[in-house]
Amino acid sequence: MKSVYGVLIAGMLVFVVGCGASPSADRTDEPTSQYLVDAEPSGAVSVGDANASGEDGQPITLVGLIGGSTEPFVDGLAAFTIVDESVPYCADEEGCPTPWDYCCTQDQVKDNIATVKIVDESGGPLAEDARELLSVKELSKVVVSGTAQKDEQGNLTVVADQVFVKKD
Amino acid sequence: MLLPWEYGVRNLARRPLRTLLTLIALATVVMLVFVVVGFIRGLERSLSTSGDDDVVLVYSVNSEENIENSAIAAQIPALLTASVGGTVSRFGMTHVSPELYMGTRVKNELDEAGLGLVRGVTLATPLVRRSVRLVEGSWPRAGEVIVGRLAAAKLGSSEDAIALGKTLEFEGKQWTVSGRFASGGSAYESEIWCRLEDFQAATKRQDLSLVAMLLSPEGSAGEVSLFCKERTDLEIRAIRETDYYASLQQHYRPVRLLAWSVVVMVSAAGIFAGLNMMYGAVAGRVREIATLQAVGFRRRAIVLSLVQEGVLLAASGSLLSGVLALTALNGMAVRFTMGAFALRIDSVAILIGCGVGVLLGVVGALPPALKALRSEVATSLKSV
Repeated sequence: MKSVYGVLIAGMLVFVVGCGASPSADRTDEPTSQYLVDAEPSGAVSVGDANASGEDGQPITLVGLIGGSTEPFVDGLAAFTIVDESVPYCADEEGCPTPWDYCCTQDQVKDNIATVKIVDESGGPLAEDARELLSVKELSKVVVSGTAQKDEQGNLTVVADQVFVKKD
Repeated sequence: MLLPWEYGVRNLARRPLRTLLTLIALATVVMLVFVVVGFIRGLERSLSTSGDDDVVLVYSVNSEENIENSAIAAQIPALLTASVGGTVSRFGMTHVSPELYMGTRVKNELDEAGLGLVRGVTLATPLVRRSVRLVEGSWPRAGEVIVGRLAAAKLGSSEDAIALGKTLEFEGKQWTVSGRFASGGSAYESEIWCRLEDFQAATKRQDLSLVAMLLSPEGSAGEVSLFCKERTDLEIRAIRETDYYASLQQHYRPVRLLAWSVVVMVSAAGIFAGLNMMYGAVAGRVREIATLQAVGFRRRAIVLSLVQEGVLLAASGSLLSGVLALTALNGMAVRFTMGAFALRIDSVAILIGCGVGVLLGVVGALPPALKALRSEVATSLKSV
């Protein structure tokens, strides 16, 4: 009987040690990207305003929520889309499995969306998934700073060199 | 001491009618299992072989997961070619296939009409859809179509009705069948292909449904996807073809779950039928079993002999069904919403079908055998 208690106590100890160890493991796994900054860049404008008044080649700082489609991230690349904070998305109680696709307000998304991409030395998109590089997910609020790229059709892309993830 | 092997075999021959009926019942159950498993395996194979890992599909963001509902601007193939690198290009031919794809009512010469899947294609299409092989006839010219190996099944017509030289009618125009193609069991085999410009003219559409791009090893599906996200005005999205068909696999998951539950239910029904049959068989042999006990055979040996009979019969039924399934069922075309696919009696289907068959033999024979042995030997010897 004693040996049974011994095994039980040993098992519980392993369990407790296992649970206690995870936070420190998480801390070491946090991304240390050169693009991720601790201080929020100043002078951020909304995505909607930037779409209306932003100019090609100018420095720009945008604030928005990651989303705009079912899959706002580009698999394998440091790129994603952000939507103006003023555009509403499905509330938790509505039970929408993908609120970041703005399914009920798609007509408003068109003028309030921008693409954010991080490029490498050659100017091509950085081949690292943004979710891992920046530790972000759908509906994360981000402030991105970089250079605006705007084409003749009015599509806005930010070539970001700084990304700040706002904690709500 | 065990009963001789021949004892069980001879016992089966002693009651030929009962043995034959039991064999037919067991073979029917196993055949049902073959049909359902063959359906699941065929559907899975059709969806898994339909995608090419190097091909990226670009279609409308508004079409959800259904490319049939997609409509994108006709200039998108040129924009993609100019803006995104990494597409295969050989002898001046870029492997980018603009396609118009839709379901429409197709009528044959016998006036039989069915819902067909028609794809308007160009000469670049077979370069991108690398699994497609023209097995008969020639590539379509103006007013001509080529039909997939399973197109007749999709239309619900006979093979002869869409043979070479026959005429089909859809979108208010007559089309002559100029060839037949196969594509290794993929979804295209249920389609009808014609020239893109002819199909656009017939449908009075100038847009496209999708663009399929064959990427070189240096190409990246992510870059195509990034282009689509940057050009929000075009309202397009990109997806690797294998991912597209994987999402369809998810879409058909309830169907597959239902089919697997049918397998379980059919097997359970088979086991109950087997039990019923074996109870009947053993009930008529109470004296024989008691005699065997009286002459010194152990209960375990008698149970083993009865199970041996059941398994022998079930294995024979499974083999019979297996041969029938392989010769008659395998490759049989089945029509479903997305097209058509062939029933597939592969190694997994054989294993499951025969496994269920042998299980029927064991589980069906054990309870009645144990029940018969519970009676007193003296009482059993006197039973009529």
